[in-house]
Amino acid sequence: MANVRHTSLGTALRYRGREGMWTWILHRATGLGILLFLIIHVIDTAIIIYWPGEYDVALGIYKHPVFRFAELLIFFSVLYHAVNGLRIVIQDFWPYVMQRQRQLVWATAVIVVLAMLPVTWIMLAPIFGLAQEPGTARSEVRCSEARNAHAPACVNPEGEVAL
Amino acid sequence: MSAPAQVAERGTPRRGGGYAKPRKAGGGNFELISWFFMRLSGLLLIFLALYHLVWWNLIVGVAHLDSQVVIERWNNPFWRLFNVALVTFAMLHGLNGARYSIEDYVRRPGRQVAVKAVVYTLVLGSLLVAVFALLTFDPAVLVNR
Ligand code: HEM
Repeated sequence: MANVRHTSLGTALRYRGREGMWTWILHRATGLGILLFLIIHVIDTAIIIYWPGEYDVALGIYKHPVFRFAELLIFFSVLYHAVNGLRIVIQDFWPYVMQRQRQLVWATAVIVVLAMLPVTWIMLAPIFGLAQEPGTARSEVRCSEARNAHAPACVNPEGEVAL
Repeated sequence: MSAPAQVAERGTPRRGGGYAKPRKAGGGNFELISWFFMRLSGLLLIFLALYHLVWWNLIVGVAHLDSQVVIERWNNPFWRLFNVALVTFAMLHGLNGARYSIEDYVRRPGRQVAVKAVVYTLVLGSLLVAVFALLTFDPAVLVNR
């Protein structure tokens, strides 16, 4: 085919010009990252149907401190992709605000950063012993009920697997 | 640089992300439908995906998760249907996003078809696994095991 272009990845990443470039690269990177995670996540969740015992082993991996950082990264990716996606949709359906694109980009960044501050604290502080795990009160109520006495998270609250 | 025909059909890329609404081209209106689908499913996913993340990471807490918690949740058909919606919209939204990327970066026609075949199989295959798991889940069998 005569029309095929050979574009280097660098050129392809640059073709949209300045301000929009970083928001766009991050939108694409977070989108592809979430899709990759979701494929893995669907497999680990499906384990519960066939091998519920192994499911608790798989969860042990998610409880490992290294994965707690990965979970925060996933949270950030979804949040950024959602807020920036909303900005794109608003600009598409309401062209008037295109004139305010720079302000909207700033608003996106401010919303994401402000939301990530408490989320980061809640998700990471417990692994450094700086705060309780989120959901501890709920979990204590659950584990005090007789029918949950043998629930894996009640029997073995640490539960993480060694890597 | 000017965009190749393929990309122009898809709607011109805009600074800051997204694509302008594609014009109805001779070859049908698939691109127009994808454009609307990305916006509609994206808006729904803001609520579905963020609710899911907040629930499991901030309210339940990963440290307190186990198979029993999930089985109890899945006992309620509402949450299984919620997950069917979440996984379906997320996978199709992600698949179309991946298609945009592949068409941007893999320009050789033969290679593009090959990469698409692999990615479509992975994404649609895991979508099937997820929907199958959610719809065939039988709480009675698991709880008494
Ligand atoms: C690190 C963050 C996450 C944690 C801790 C988490 C946790 C869980 C848990 C405990 C389940 C089983 C219970 C249920 O069905 O609700 C589950 C299933 C599911 N999650 Fe997540 N999740 C995370 C991120 C995500 C993201 C970002 C998405 C989508 C973009 C997602 C989509 C789903 C779907 C569709 C299911 C059902 C899958 C199936 O039936 O095979 N999750 N998740």
